[in-house]
Amino acid sequence: MKTIAGRIAFNLFAWTVVLVTAFPLIWMILTSVKPQFELFRIPPTFWPEQITFEHYVRLIYETPFLKYMRNSLILGFATTIVVVVVATLGAHSLVRFRYPGRERLAQMVLFTYLLPSVVLILPLYLMMVWLGIANTIFSLVIAYTTFALPYALWLLRSFMQGIPDDLEAAALVDGATRMEAFVDVILPQALPGIISTSLFTFILAWNEYLYALVLVNTDEARPLTTGVMSMLVSAFNIEWSLLMAASVMMSLPLIIIFAFLQTYLTRGFGAGGVKG
Amino acid sequence: MSKTISQPGHGVSRRAVLAGMGAAGSMAAAGTMPTPAEAQTVTLRWWSPQTAPAQREAYNFQIQTFEAANPGVKVNFEATSDEGYPAQMAAAFASGQVPNVVTHLPSFAVSSYWQNGLLEPFNDVINMIGPQNFFEGANRIYEVAPGQYAGTGIGGSAANMMWLRTDLMREAGLTTPRTWDQLRAACQRLQRAPVFGAPLPYARNSMTSLIFISFVHGAGGSIFTPDLQVNVDNDAFRNALEFYKSMREFCPPGATNYSWGDSLTAFVSGATATGIYTGRVLANVTQQNPRIADFVTCQPYPTISTSVPHWTFNDFPSVMIPKGAPNLDITKRFAAHLFRADGYIRQLHAAPGHVLPVLKTVYESAAYQENALIKKYAADVQIMSQQASAGHNLGWETVRHKPNTKAGQIIASHVFAEAVQRYVGANEPMAQVVSGVARRLDELMRA
Amino acid sequence: MSGNPLDKRYAVLGAMLIAPTVLVFCAVIVYPLVSALYLSLFTIFTPTLRGSFVGLGNYAYLVNSPEFWRSLWNTLLWTICTLALQIVFGVAAALMLHQNIVFRSLARSLILFPYFVSTVVAVLVWRWLFNDLYGVMNHLMLMAGLIKMPLDWLGSMPNAMISIILVGAWKYFPFVVIAVLARLQTIPDALYEAAKIDGAGAWSRFVDITLPQLRDVLVVVVLLRAIWDFKEFDLIYLLTGGGPIIATQTLPLMVYKDAFGLNDMGRASAVAVSMMLVMLSFMVLYLKLAGRDERESQR
Repeated sequence: MKTIAGRIAFNLFAWTVVLVTAFPLIWMILTSVKPQFELFRIPPTFWPEQITFEHYVRLIYETPFLKYMRNSLILGFATTIVVVVVATLGAHSLVRFRYPGRERLAQMVLFTYLLPSVVLILPLYLMMVWLGIANTIFSLVIAYTTFALPYALWLLRSFMQGIPDDLEAAALVDGATRMEAFVDVILPQALPGIISTSLFTFILAWNEYLYALVLVNTDEARPLTTGVMSMLVSAFNIEWSLLMAASVMMSLPLIIIFAFLQTYLTRGFGAGGVKG
Repeated sequence: MSKTISQPGHGVSRRAVLAGMGAAGSMAAAGTMPTPAEAQTVTLRWWSPQTAPAQREAYNFQIQTFEAANPGVKVNFEATSDEGYPAQMAAAFASGQVPNVVTHLPSFAVSSYWQNGLLEPFNDVINMIGPQNFFEGANRIYEVAPGQYAGTGIGGSAANMMWLRTDLMREAGLTTPRTWDQLRAACQRLQRAPVFGAPLPYARNSMTSLIFISFVHGAGGSIFTPDLQVNVDNDAFRNALEFYKSMREFCPPGATNYSWGDSLTAFVSGATATGIYTGRVLANVTQQNPRIADFVTCQPYPTISTSVPHWTFNDFPSVMIPKGAPNLDITKRFAAHLFRADGYIRQLHAAPGHVLPVLKTVYESAAYQENALIKKYAADVQIMSQQASAGHNLGWETVRHKPNTKAGQIIASHVFAEAVQRYVGANEPMAQVVSGVARRLDELMRA
Repeated sequence: MSGNPLDKRYAVLGAMLIAPTVLVFCAVIVYPLVSALYLSLFTIFTPTLRGSFVGLGNYAYLVNSPEFWRSLWNTLLWTICTLALQIVFGVAAALMLHQNIVFRSLARSLILFPYFVSTVVAVLVWRWLFNDLYGVMNHLMLMAGLIKMPLDWLGSMPNAMISIILVGAWKYFPFVVIAVLARLQTIPDALYEAAKIDGAGAWSRFVDITLPQLRDVLVVVVLLRAIWDFKEFDLIYLLTGGGPIIATQTLPLMVYKDAFGLNDMGRASAVAVSMMLVMLSFMVLYLKLAGRDERESQR
């Protein structure tokens, strides 16, 4: 089999690729701990000559950063829950029930993505006003649901197709109702797929920019993406130090979560065998 | 919090959809629900795209003093952004949920919204502030019809000041350039690796368009005639393009993507020997590069010859009240309150020299002058104030010009920035570039 | 698929379960589609949403507008190039991460980082890396002697197009990694063992076993990513804004400019509808080709 030397060489190569891919992250962290006057050095310094956490302190104590963080978390979790609940029910229905138009509907899923989001903004905004929820986190939850749902549904459907019919049939023979069978049998089986779908949905909601830019503009509802942008980047000035510190704080929690959950991300995708 | 929100969320998203279907096709009919205000208290909404942390502090002070003086009134500050405001204003107008006061949008946004019947008359507010307190002519750009004002300026800016490094100038034995030829010669002398001569923008953005417009005036021309006929097929326009191109060799390679922030940073960091910017240079130099803080100074930007006067670009950050804003009386009082000396001075001091006062009473007051930066750079601040008060922009090119309500769209179409890129970057022939600009301007003016 | 005889009795329950989904779909398809089609027949001033009927005037304008055709070309170029890179890098990285390497979880997490970092952050960091004066990219290349002068990454052609394609590939290839990695884990080892006994080398094992097994997942991933790349707005808008001139202006940027810069919602809707038609025709074609391939390979 493989020699030890070959194995070491492969590991070195693989980690080089990984580090090159993650280089922007590394640079982000390095830049965020440089004092401001070191930033504009020509040529740039690689290691900070002096390490400072003043940018983090300023961000937390002197700006609404934590408020935006709270909004983003609420937004991410709320969107994820709404989308996953609706998609799980929908996918279950598509896979296990028979009614006219079912196949057509499954094919339609991807077509929902055809209209560019830019033209959806004004109709969506008017809808929110009509409902009386404009300029709230809630309006963003609804907006994000519209674009996260099709993908979630598609992912869960292909996952649930991989769960054998026999299990549910056995439960029904034992006298369970359809919904009981769904809760007791299908849900536990689908759990990896549900976790994986949740992660994808959370990422979408955490990162969205355009809708958040237009639909919301109070600090009470503004998420991190647009909050950080409008606070630190104006036509007149870019606060690079604060920006890099903010970027690190926006990314690190996700990296840590994903280090633990990434097996679900790939398992949920694979178990059912991905089908169109 | 997240959990409690999610459950009703499920149900309402269905209603949202039904609502949407009902509203399809008849968008204008879609609701004009009033802002859900809490009982008894009046809530005012204040929008602004200028939200640097220091400015926010000043705004909060102004809000607190207003709330203290008017029990039962609550003011919410809501940050919009330079990229986002057109869409957000459109959404606000379309839905009828407009903010009460909008500040810091460029003056041509005011005239464009007024033209379309979207603003409340502003005379009452100006009278509350006291017309005699303003600098002479400060409100002329907002006078949409004789005696009728659509808004007012919350500050002035002199956006195209030429910034110089006195240390480098002395070393090279140079004096302040007055003409384009002298400026080019100076840049030539000052450009020594790694220092470039100038940070002019060559990007597809509004800064490039605005700087180019200032060059056309610096060549003795104007984009439109006073009665707003397109006026680009002439020597002034060509000379401006020619000058812009000749400066390319003195600008960093990345200048093709520069906007205000990049251009500012290039000068502040010492990467370029000259700069083109407002007074924000002063604060940034002090914070980011104190090494050169004693050696920066500004002058009005050179022109093609001494016989052509300086032309200063002022985007006149504005104050306006959208039509249909609830609680109009309190709104007007709040708009006027923004100019009360204590709060107004804090706002100006948040970025000393960047936003210049429109009230001469404030400019002359000891409280305003009592600021370390304004004291240290007194001569520069004075020059900028003079230039800003005599400043113009595409919405109002010279005192003889009629206000141009299409200015906002023209800048957003990037027609001038593209002309610069076509001539400088892509080397298209002059005649083709000029005729292209003329055609598109015609189209935009007719649209 | 499911042949459960009980199914028919539960059709109502099934319909109830899918109902919320259908309603959301109506909100994202029917309502905006109708309003976009409707608005595209008018000249509409965005802030007031008032305007006059012009019939197909907006479409006639687009057909004769070089800007529209250039933007369409840019969109296709960007989509095809960035998608190709995403697939190639994505499959390669997935194969690599499928092997046993030290700290594999951390390595996977880091590779996935570009996908879950927000676009805004990613773009700003890249702009900082690309900066002509303080950017580390130029500095490293200068040190390595690859270039003499700092490169203008974002402001001149063809660099600007190459830069957005590369950043796009960097940002979205982890999506391919996730999908492919998942599929790789389900390929039975027995297949490889058998091929090894037959004397197949590493390359022919990849071509004969791995690729056919990945086919299904790649068909879907290509479709999804193609649609999303075609519609990409944030990344390009924040990176180049469509410049220089209109060399990187894709259709979504044109929609945004027309709608909110030029305040012409009607023409913006016409661009959006045209864009949708282009995507629709490509999608139908693609699904047909993919479907035919599948039938042939099963024969």
